[in-house]
Amino acid sequence: MKESPSTISEQDKENQLIDKLIGNDDLAYEILVRQYSARMYAVARRFFTSDDDAQEALQKAFIQVFKKISTFNKDSSLMTWLHRITVNEALMIIRQKKRQNTLPLESFTQHYNEHGERTVFSDNSEQSLMEGLGHNIEALFEKNETKFSLNELIYQLPEKYCNVLLLRDIQEISTKETANIIGISEASVKTQLHRARLLLKSILEQKDKDRLEDNWKVN
Amino acid sequence: MLMIKRLMTKYIPAMLTCEEIDDFLYDFHEGQLSYTEHLTFKLHLRLCKECKDYVRKYKNTIRMSQAGFTKADPAEKVPEELIEVILKSRTKK
Ligand SMILES: [Zn+2]
Repeated sequence: MKESPSTISEQDKENQLIDKLIGNDDLAYEILVRQYSARMYAVARRFFTSDDDAQEALQKAFIQVFKKISTFNKDSSLMTWLHRITVNEALMIIRQKKRQNTLPLESFTQHYNEHGERTVFSDNSEQSLMEGLGHNIEALFEKNETKFSLNELIYQLPEKYCNVLLLRDIQEISTKETANIIGISEASVKTQLHRARLLLKSILEQKDKDRLEDNWKVN
Repeated sequence: MLMIKRLMTKYIPAMLTCEEIDDFLYDFHEGQLSYTEHLTFKLHLRLCKECKDYVRKYKNTIRMSQAGFTKADPAEKVPEELIEVILKSRTKK
């Protein structure tokens, strides 16, 4: 394969920058941050609705970059590496949000529904998980007094669904790269994404039904 | 309608069942179906209101989830204060 001279020099420039970064050159760090932060910020922004969250993700990503730059493999692209780190830091922040929330969907579906019936779902029985959610979702929205927001709802999906949905549908990252980032097979990305969409679809339908029923009550 | 569907499934060998629509839905959405698969998929949707509705809602769910997040603008500048904070965080021990 023939490479054009311009791509070679770009690659050389990148390698020189990395060498300087590893050599702890202040100017190189300034160049790195100024040159790459906008693209990383755009990635972080797409994960959240608030600027604060996106800025936190970017800041944390750079902390990791500074820490790990000596382990960077020059055979891979710098931007790909920075992108992965940004995605991972954003997912970490979302994981913390999951824990902070008073109504984690996961634990909600694993124990009892609002009728006090036991609803235990194994990881492999998404079908029953979805059926169970139908019963639970009403209670979820009843207790959740804040305005219904879709991104919050997605954050509350079981983690494996939340992650593939964010990476594939929201970030529009390829199946292959998503598999790399999460550390699962491409086939698993596909099945989990499909199930995540179906789960979200059933939640939204339930929500829609509730709203229609509410309208009936009002009129 | 159900009658027609049953007859179609029985007499047109390529006719998909509703269950098969579910199996093919992901690849359909990804544009990964072969030409023939795509045609039979579309044929089923023409004849089956339930599946047509199902597929429409599947697509809507994806669209809605995308709309629930900030549209990232790659031209958007990182606030200068944030850049300063990031640069300082490297030397700060
Ligand atoms: Zn059908």
